[in-house]
Amino acid sequence: MSDHRPPEWMLRFFRWFCHPDYVEDIEGDLEERFATYTQTSGVRRAKWLFMREILKLFRPGLIKKYDSNIQFTPYGMLHNYLKISFRNILRHKTFSALNIAGLSVGIASCILILIYVNNERSYDTYHKKYERIHRVLHYFGSREGEMDFDTLAESDYIVWGNAPVAPALKSYFPEIETVFRFTSPSPWLVSYKEKTFSENNIVFADSTAFEIFDWSIIAGDPKTALVRPNTIVLTKKLAEKYFGEENPIGQTLIMDTEDPFEVTGVIDIPTNSHFSFDAMISMTTFKSMRPEIFDNWGYVDFYTYFTVRPGANVDEFAAKVPDFLEKNFTASFNYYVRMEPLSEAYLHSEAGRQPGPVGSLNNIFIFTSVAIFILLIACINFMNLSTARSVERAKEVAIRKTIGSLKSALIFQFLVEAMLVSFLAALVAIGLVLIGHPYLELLSGKSLPIDWLFTLKNAVLGIFSLLTLGLIAGSYPAFVLSGFRPVSVLKGSFKTSSNGIWLRKALVSLQFALSVILLVGTAVVYSQLDYLRNHDLGFNPDRVLVIDYGYDSIVQRKIEVIKRAMKQHPSVVEASASRATPGDFFPHAGTGVEEPSGEMSYQSPAIYEIDEDFVSTFQMNLIAGRTFSKDFPLDSSNALILNESAARLYGYTDPADVVGKSFEQWGRKGKVIGVIQDFNYVSLHNKVEPLSLRYGTRGNIAMLSLRLNSDNYASTLSELEEIWNQLVPHRPFDNHFLDQNFNAQYEADARFGVIFTIFSGLAVFVACLGLFGLTIFSTAQRTKEVGIRKVLGASTVSIVRLLSRDFLQLFVLSLSVSIPLSWYIMTRWLENFAYSISIGWEIFLLSSIVILVISLVTMSMKTIGTALSNPVNALRDE
Amino acid sequence: MGKHQLGEFEEVVLLTVAILQGDAYGIAIIEEMETRLDRKVSIGALQTVLRRLEKKGYLKSEFGEATAIRGGKRKRFFALTQHGRMILQETKEQRLSLWNAIPDLSLKES
Repeated sequence: MSDHRPPEWMLRFFRWFCHPDYVEDIEGDLEERFATYTQTSGVRRAKWLFMREILKLFRPGLIKKYDSNIQFTPYGMLHNYLKISFRNILRHKTFSALNIAGLSVGIASCILILIYVNNERSYDTYHKKYERIHRVLHYFGSREGEMDFDTLAESDYIVWGNAPVAPALKSYFPEIETVFRFTSPSPWLVSYKEKTFSENNIVFADSTAFEIFDWSIIAGDPKTALVRPNTIVLTKKLAEKYFGEENPIGQTLIMDTEDPFEVTGVIDIPTNSHFSFDAMISMTTFKSMRPEIFDNWGYVDFYTYFTVRPGANVDEFAAKVPDFLEKNFTASFNYYVRMEPLSEAYLHSEAGRQPGPVGSLNNIFIFTSVAIFILLIACINFMNLSTARSVERAKEVAIRKTIGSLKSALIFQFLVEAMLVSFLAALVAIGLVLIGHPYLELLSGKSLPIDWLFTLKNAVLGIFSLLTLGLIAGSYPAFVLSGFRPVSVLKGSFKTSSNGIWLRKALVSLQFALSVILLVGTAVVYSQLDYLRNHDLGFNPDRVLVIDYGYDSIVQRKIEVIKRAMKQHPSVVEASASRATPGDFFPHAGTGVEEPSGEMSYQSPAIYEIDEDFVSTFQMNLIAGRTFSKDFPLDSSNALILNESAARLYGYTDPADVVGKSFEQWGRKGKVIGVIQDFNYVSLHNKVEPLSLRYGTRGNIAMLSLRLNSDNYASTLSELEEIWNQLVPHRPFDNHFLDQNFNAQYEADARFGVIFTIFSGLAVFVACLGLFGLTIFSTAQRTKEVGIRKVLGASTVSIVRLLSRDFLQLFVLSLSVSIPLSWYIMTRWLENFAYSISIGWEIFLLSSIVILVISLVTMSMKTIGTALSNPVNALRDE
Repeated sequence: MGKHQLGEFEEVVLLTVAILQGDAYGIAIIEEMETRLDRKVSIGALQTVLRRLEKKGYLKSEFGEATAIRGGKRKRFFALTQHGRMILQETKEQRLSLWNAIPDLSLKES
């Protein structure tokens, strides 16, 4: 009576998922239930209940086992591919090792460089308002003349600027949300209980700091931390230095032996910030100390940052700047501002006087290229070795084809093999990265976080790139090998792998070329760094001890006494007190000097404030006139010394002619008394800029420089420290040797050099691995030929030559590509330096010879063995 | 024999199979449980337990004859094994010993 049938599609679904052993009786049960239900509750309800029953049957105990008879995927085939691949890898241990070693070094280098580059690019991105933060760039021009500000390049601007521009901008532009200023660091003597240290990296900062920047706040209230005068926010490092385990909030630090400052916050600044400091003092403190500079458009000591409201377009600011200055700017010199987004600050800013070290886009470009080179070389190794071995694999391919394997299946098999190798290499590479990462941090001098690497997205991306890598590396062998015609292979007419030879030659040449380029690069970097170290600076930075007392007023008062006492020490040759030493910060000043025509010309050269012993202490060369002297007591108010560039700036072709002309600078008027030879007071990245040297009054002097001549610097230093402590015991003897300080500015270059060299070395190493593999293969192929030649009387040397000749031809070919290319790249790099070497032919010669020797040595490991082997062994078998 | 603990549902299924003697197939078991215990049981739940008990060796099964009412599908008849009987016996004794251990008073009070 039950002509109603349960829904067939549900039954089909049930049959699909249910364990085949259980299907029959459970299906019977289901149908029986359905029949009962239709009688008791009607068809609709029965169907509904039936569906529920089936869904409830979908449980682990009853569903089909995955590895049951029915196959959903060609899993078995894949399994077989993997098995064969593993066997192949194990059978050819040397080749597999060479492949995996090369690829893993390549991948590891790539990842390490990626970590570095990513860190460089991550600067400042942790700020939540990153997109909305901008900063002000300033142009400080000369006192006279109308200027077309539109023609100024970005490099004419400086980040360092004045105080009044910030509030003026905020009130003029409604789009601006918050402005923030901080000063350049000033030296402080900081004491807490018995601990006293001199700190050089403390800035004054507006209370709006935390509205703009997202530094992690460890303690304190960001809203009020920098509001009151005499409050200070420490970084974690400094807080630990002074307070250890104690809670620093609310504690009092004694600044410069007299002023008590309250600690109102502790913050931590991430290392990927383009500027950094050890502590911030509230700007109100500075305002109460020197209220006049907050209205002075000419007093330069502030960095200005601001956020705009969401949606505001900062590009529109540029058009309004003239009007803005018209309404606000009160001083009489040429002045202009422009805005720069925070995203440009670290890598793209060309403005001068940056608040911190900037990155180099060029270096990132170079590192990225090196990473790609290494990976390319490793891939080429893989392709070369695979194609070279194609003869061995040819029989396997032919038999597979005869049995009926499709071409696509063969292609797939080779690709699986390549991917397997690249996965193994990736595993090794991960190990290498973990080993190499701390060294990279050490070399780059930065902390390079790697936690960002471990996300699901990156894992997927990594696996995807590995597959691509395997695909690229395995593509050639896959498509060529699978194309063999089985008949010709099995008949035996297929002897040499002439198919791959052309490509192989091209690839080997490419490897040679890349190696030469990298080596030329290394050589150029090194000779440039060497050149910088030995460049005639215009003064002698060796053996000069600099004591930095940070404008300490007590020391300033006693400086003459200290100087005299120090000079009495037998090891001190000369002593000089000055505001800055070469390599330090220095101010600029509007300076008028009489031109040859007799008119006053106003420019803005850098200024140094020095005493009468400065020129002799630093062993600078006086070209004309005289230096400051005790014999002319009025030198402190009416004399000025210029450097050659400054003399040229004011229109004198012969620097000597400027001596005796009148000048005007910062309230002083008088005559130019001397000209000194240009000396490098900034860095050899830049040309020597015009500089004026004036007599420093006591209040502007912060450093004492001593030229030493001693056999035992350790004892001299402790003796000098004793003298210092007797005279000014409250002030730590904070000293450094000038050459250390001056060389510190080439530190980034030196680090770049080391990292570059290491990665080039790795690239050459990987290339050698490949070359070695190819040599093994090609000599093995020619074993019989070598045997016959030896029997006929060939010498060992001639056989080695025979075996190496092919590679040498390729090498010469590669030089024709690599030399012009490397010349072009390195010339671009050298453009970073104002003083640079010219790339001579010796560098190319040297690099080529090095590569040649390395390749020959690599090859000789195999060729000489072959040449020496007993021909009987080679000829006996068959 | 602690490791041979039966679950509550397992015990009920084993007992029902025992009640039905040679007639214990899926629907019969379910209906028996529904009438005797007034308990709704889905085929899925029952079958899972049956297979599990079979795998443990408490039950054995064989196909019967095909019948028209089930769309020509054969029934699978379950029966207790010796091992299964022992387990049931053991469970019963455990329960009984617990019951016996209860002092008369306490049960009345509660």
